[in-house]
Amino acid sequence: MTPTAPDPPLLDAARAAFLAGPVSINVASRDAALVPSVARAYGCRVDAGRRVTLFLAEARAAAVLRDLAAGAPIAVIFSRPRTHVSLQLKADRAELMPLTEADRAIMHAYADAFGAEVRALAHSAAFAEKLMQGCFEAAVAARFTPTTLFEQTPGPRAGARLEPRP
Amino acid sequence: MTPRLRALRRCFEGVVPASIATCSADGVPNVTKLSHVHFVDDEQVALSYQFFNKTRENVLATGRATVEVLDPETARHYHLHLQYLRTETDGPLFETMKARLAAIASHTGMSKVFRLLGSDLYRVLRIDAADADPAAEPGPDADLLATLRAFLAELSPCTELARLLDTTLLGLERHWDIRHAMALLLDSRREVLYTVASRGYRQSGVGSEIRLGDGIIGIAARERTPIRIGHAVEEYRYGQATRRYYADSGGGAELETEIPFPGLPDAGSQMAIPLLAAGRPLGVLYMESPQEQHFSYDDEDALAVLAGQLALTIELLNHAADHPDQHDGGSAAPRVQGRPILIRHFPADNSVFVDDEYLIKGVAGAILWKLLSEHETTGRVDFTTRELRLDSSLKLPEVTDNLDARLILLQRRLVERCPAIGLEKTGRGRFRLVLGGPPRLSQMPR
Repeated sequence: MTPTAPDPPLLDAARAAFLAGPVSINVASRDAALVPSVARAYGCRVDAGRRVTLFLAEARAAAVLRDLAAGAPIAVIFSRPRTHVSLQLKADRAELMPLTEADRAIMHAYADAFGAEVRALAHSAAFAEKLMQGCFEAAVAARFTPTTLFEQTPGPRAGARLEPRP
Repeated sequence: MTPRLRALRRCFEGVVPASIATCSADGVPNVTKLSHVHFVDDEQVALSYQFFNKTRENVLATGRATVEVLDPETARHYHLHLQYLRTETDGPLFETMKARLAAIASHTGMSKVFRLLGSDLYRVLRIDAADADPAAEPGPDADLLATLRAFLAELSPCTELARLLDTTLLGLERHWDIRHAMALLLDSRREVLYTVASRGYRQSGVGSEIRLGDGIIGIAARERTPIRIGHAVEEYRYGQATRRYYADSGGGAELETEIPFPGLPDAGSQMAIPLLAAGRPLGVLYMESPQEQHFSYDDEDALAVLAGQLALTIELLNHAADHPDQHDGGSAAPRVQGRPILIRHFPADNSVFVDDEYLIKGVAGAILWKLLSEHETTGRVDFTTRELRLDSSLKLPEVTDNLDARLILLQRRLVERCPAIGLEKTGRGRFRLVLGGPPRLSQMPR
């Protein structure tokens, strides 16, 4: 079954490229009592259908994975450390699945690219390495089709809802 | 194991941005980055409120937030489950966070964007260590306690203010590697802080002044709270331009601007700790470093203890000074030989010029003029702090004034600017005027 994406898609090529760049990715969900959960993701893939697949570490994302598995909605912020440019995506649900070999390759490439970004901000190489440590063994993919998109770069425009660009 | 919040303080230095998840009343989650999570105590944290955004709307609706912080050394992840309590828009917490936010904003190039509207206070309901590996949490630094003990032991034998302050500044360098520091005392009547001792500057800056509420020194004194920032911030630095702005920016007493403030022009880290005795601010211990992130939470803890001890000792010495040693009264000295020293006094602000060079003004200027006038009339050179305190013409603020500090300031200005006139301590509450030439006094018209 192919999920239906908005037309024109919410994620155009430029935005899709931004998501796949050296960005910090933070995922949120919530439980039945509306208590929020949060976790970091380690790379993402945007497919032709403009679906977004995130890679999460089981050990560091237990609460988020539990909430998503229960069918709760998802919110994700993508933020470039060096420029603070940020986008937030939301969807009503996300599907959890194992990683493919291709996903693992993306995750490793992300670790390299994001590590370089973090080191460029004067963090040590050791910190950048520890940030990614242990995330590859027990990783889970979360796939969703974003339904809303928000400008999240710090400033008065943060939170503004973005429409699809033709 | 649930770690204690204080064991996580490294995560709150603003090195790695945190993220905050909230949820709307109708169940839609939201996530955004946070520049700053502020450690309040083991039960509470505060978050900066800068814009009315979705996060704030959600928190006000549900009261709940979950924050992920990272340890900047181990990269361990922690989740803080928070319950919103209230928002503060002034006071110590607000001012501390404002200074720290300014530091982070300046460091990250966001100075025009970040502005603190309020400090949102939260109770920490639970802390989850997100990593499976329960490696040892960062514990308290045992060295710090031993160092503090050694440091305090050095202060204990100091029975006079000048030595107490100098020993403190020397100890900061020896024990803490803090090479640029100064001690300022509060003139509560004029609401200004004046520099009494400093270490690590090309010019001592003794006698220079900061208005209560100006910069991190002024705010630390006014709010009675330590302020520590780990990045260069233009508006909190004490460069000449900033000081001129402060001096011009209206209100309050006229500031001593002739004596340059000794602060580093390019400080990367700054820490101001108020000297509180029974809750009353006596002054500020100010430390800085050209390096960023030079001072940690642990340093702040230890130095706050030190500052408390210092304040109590200053208070004690101040009271002791009121009871001078017994003495056979003021003695006359032999006629002074040497090149005459021309001294002019302007009564309007008590400024004193020596051989056309500005020396000092205010209370210290008035004291010097009184001593020299007395000498001219009676030939006396020995004086007591008690007679100065009882002299209403000096307009010393009651109770809170630290006369000893004024004398130290005056003595050091003389050493720096006018070695022909000296003040020597001759006993508790007693001192002597030492003249290298006959003074020629000239009272200027008001």
